[in-house]
Amino acid sequence: MDHSKNQKLTRRQFIKGAAVVTAAPLVIDALPFYGSLAHASSEADLVIAKTGSPTKLLQAAMAPIGGMGRFVKKGQRVVIKANIAWARTPEQACTNNPELLSALIKMCYEAGAKRVAVWDHTCDNYQFCFSRSGLKEAGQKAGADVLSGHGRNVYKQVEIPKGKKLKSAEVLRDVLETDVFINFPIPKHHFATELTLGMKNFIGIVWDMELLHKIDLHQCIADISTLRKPDLVVVDAIRILTTNGPKGPGKTEDIGEVIASTDIVAADAYAATFFKHPKTGKPFKPEEVKFVKLAYEMGLGEIDLAKVRVKKVSAA
Amino acid sequence: MRKILPYLRRSIQILSFLFLLYLVIRTAFPLEIKIPVDLYLRLDPFVAIISALTNKGLIERMLPAFGVLLLVIILGNFFCGWFCPMGSVIDFFDRILFREKKRAKPFDDQSLRRFRYGVFIFSIVAGLMAFQVMYILDPISLLTRTLVIAFYPPAIFVYNHFLPQVQGFLPKNPFIVSSIPLPVFKVNLFIFIFFIAILALGVIRKRFWCRYLCPLGTLFSIFSRLRIFKRSVTDDCTSCQKCVKECPMGAIPAEAPQDYRQQDCISCFKCLECPPGAVFFHFNKPRWKTVNGVNLSRRYVLGSLAFGGLSALMIKTNPLQSESGLKNNRLIRPPGSLPEAEFVAVCTGCGECLKVCPNNALQSTFLEAGLAGLYTPRLVSRIGYCEEFCNFCGRVCPTEAIKSLTIEEKRLIQIGVAHIDKTRCIAWDTDKICLVCNEQCSYHAIIGDDKKRPIVKEEKCTGCGICENKCPVDGESAIIVYSSGVQKKLKPENSNNKS
Repeated sequence: MDHSKNQKLTRRQFIKGAAVVTAAPLVIDALPFYGSLAHASSEADLVIAKTGSPTKLLQAAMAPIGGMGRFVKKGQRVVIKANIAWARTPEQACTNNPELLSALIKMCYEAGAKRVAVWDHTCDNYQFCFSRSGLKEAGQKAGADVLSGHGRNVYKQVEIPKGKKLKSAEVLRDVLETDVFINFPIPKHHFATELTLGMKNFIGIVWDMELLHKIDLHQCIADISTLRKPDLVVVDAIRILTTNGPKGPGKTEDIGEVIASTDIVAADAYAATFFKHPKTGKPFKPEEVKFVKLAYEMGLGEIDLAKVRVKKVSAA
Repeated sequence: MRKILPYLRRSIQILSFLFLLYLVIRTAFPLEIKIPVDLYLRLDPFVAIISALTNKGLIERMLPAFGVLLLVIILGNFFCGWFCPMGSVIDFFDRILFREKKRAKPFDDQSLRRFRYGVFIFSIVAGLMAFQVMYILDPISLLTRTLVIAFYPPAIFVYNHFLPQVQGFLPKNPFIVSSIPLPVFKVNLFIFIFFIAILALGVIRKRFWCRYLCPLGTLFSIFSRLRIFKRSVTDDCTSCQKCVKECPMGAIPAEAPQDYRQQDCISCFKCLECPPGAVFFHFNKPRWKTVNGVNLSRRYVLGSLAFGGLSALMIKTNPLQSESGLKNNRLIRPPGSLPEAEFVAVCTGCGECLKVCPNNALQSTFLEAGLAGLYTPRLVSRIGYCEEFCNFCGRVCPTEAIKSLTIEEKRLIQIGVAHIDKTRCIAWDTDKICLVCNEQCSYHAIIGDDKKRPIVKEEKCTGCGICENKCPVDGESAIIVYSSGVQKKLKPENSNNKS
């Protein structure tokens, strides 16, 4: 814990360091990334890219954060947790943008990734989700394995030492064991939790997702997020679903943004502002989404965007 | 030529069975195969005739079966010996399980041979009274049902069991394969035992099932009496009895091996292995007369008619089939099904829809639908739900008991309505936020009130059962789909029918 003696550390770095020490026995493979903290010559922790094609947006968003090379080293396995949960078409914005997924996979390979896997544990039947969302085709064309967690053999029972209500869960083994983990959510309206954001996307690695509702959904989302901090969060806000979430179809809004961040709480805090609170009619404050607030309180990231190095770029 | 024939026949039998197996395996997502996966059933004239009787009209999909019947009329019964997949299975097991010496001594089987005509008359009469339970004996329907219900789940179980072991040997990257969700069917053991019993009958006689029970074989028998492709024996015959023993159908009488019962012959050409080479097949004038035929006495025919008619009446007056208060409102039929009374009359219980259902939602009934509804499909939401963008069950149904619908039509069919049990629902019973049912509902039929408790909008609910399936309450769901007995068409403006 030599980090704590250094007074010049930001809170973020401290949290990261603390997370490493506690999570190390669990996610030993995550260490190489934290070893590269020194390399953090990036200009920002959260980059918002506006206006442009999905590929351009991703490139623009990744550059200030240190490029994909900061996260993916040669020969590493990359796991992307996409949102392919529903049998909906890309236009309905209930699942990720196929072009953006394709660009993300290609960028990983360009950075030297050995193999990229795209995972989701779908809610609808995986075959229909994969074909209707167009994500299987897009992912496979870009050279990735698009994998579905419909079989229990790909899960692993783990303890959640930092979990407050959820003490153990069966989660996707590949997500825990991979070298690099990228969380690739699409922000959506969600009737039960108000919004679906990055951390909500992350519970798609759990085998018995419905059980979380029974325990305490918001706390479980935060608890699961302690298992593995994503190395990179890429928020697909090209088009978002603003009503009838999470399954839709509902009203959509073309935001045209891609957000890249190393801090999932900050990414969620920013993405929450796309939506209007049903009661007040004003954009959501991050604290109004309970699981974001809980995650912040558990030290998973920074909720106050003023304390995060935010950079806005244009891809045009 | 004579030497090749047995091998040729065996190869065709094996290929025919494997092709059926292939079609059954391909009866699955994405269902883009060019050949109809229910091909064998569509070529089955027994199913065609009975379903036309019970449906009171010809079924378009079953028309090719009459082509097969026409061929049989001309050429004689070639189907059973060469193409019937059930016949192939029986031949195979007769060969490997039972030694000829161990079989029962020859006996006069006239009364047994008569039995299958009785069964056939029974099924025709019952069919005229719109009751189809004899489909349970149709060999094609029986075999596909057995493959789907009894053998498909164990196959997946074994695959899933060995998958981790096999994966242990493979490089971890990229060979990550999820195990397949295990299909389950409640009636599997009954179907399996019935199938094994049929095979076990081979201990008494070769092809016991085909000779004495099979209604499809009986139909072919009746129509192949006037065949023109016939067996003849020259004067070289020494009455060595070889053909009498070898004939798998017992169609050659011991006392007159020069003759044969042309209706029972399945054209397997085993009798061509004649030591003096006295047997040959050729085209000849049809002949109605036969030797050692069955004695269908007036008494026997009338008895079969009466038994068929009364059995049908018994089943029709069974409380589950009638309008009594015992109606099973958890009996949810697949979308596009005919009204219940017609559905049980037309469904053959072949199991194609059970196999194709991507979520294992369709289950075979046992007695839940009454006696007439044995082995018919029903939706059991707690096992699986009806997938929104799937219309496979209607597309594979050979007798159109489930109508083939477009996705848009299917999404507007209400097969049932979900009801919430507020004493068990997490959101209603506690202050927790759950709303899994709202999140999963494909049709916006479940909304939440201001306290985030679910409420069902009946006019939008299709009864797909995804809410019942995903409800996290232990055991029985807190939201249950009930059927009203009739499938309704929803108004498009109420649904989110924009795909």
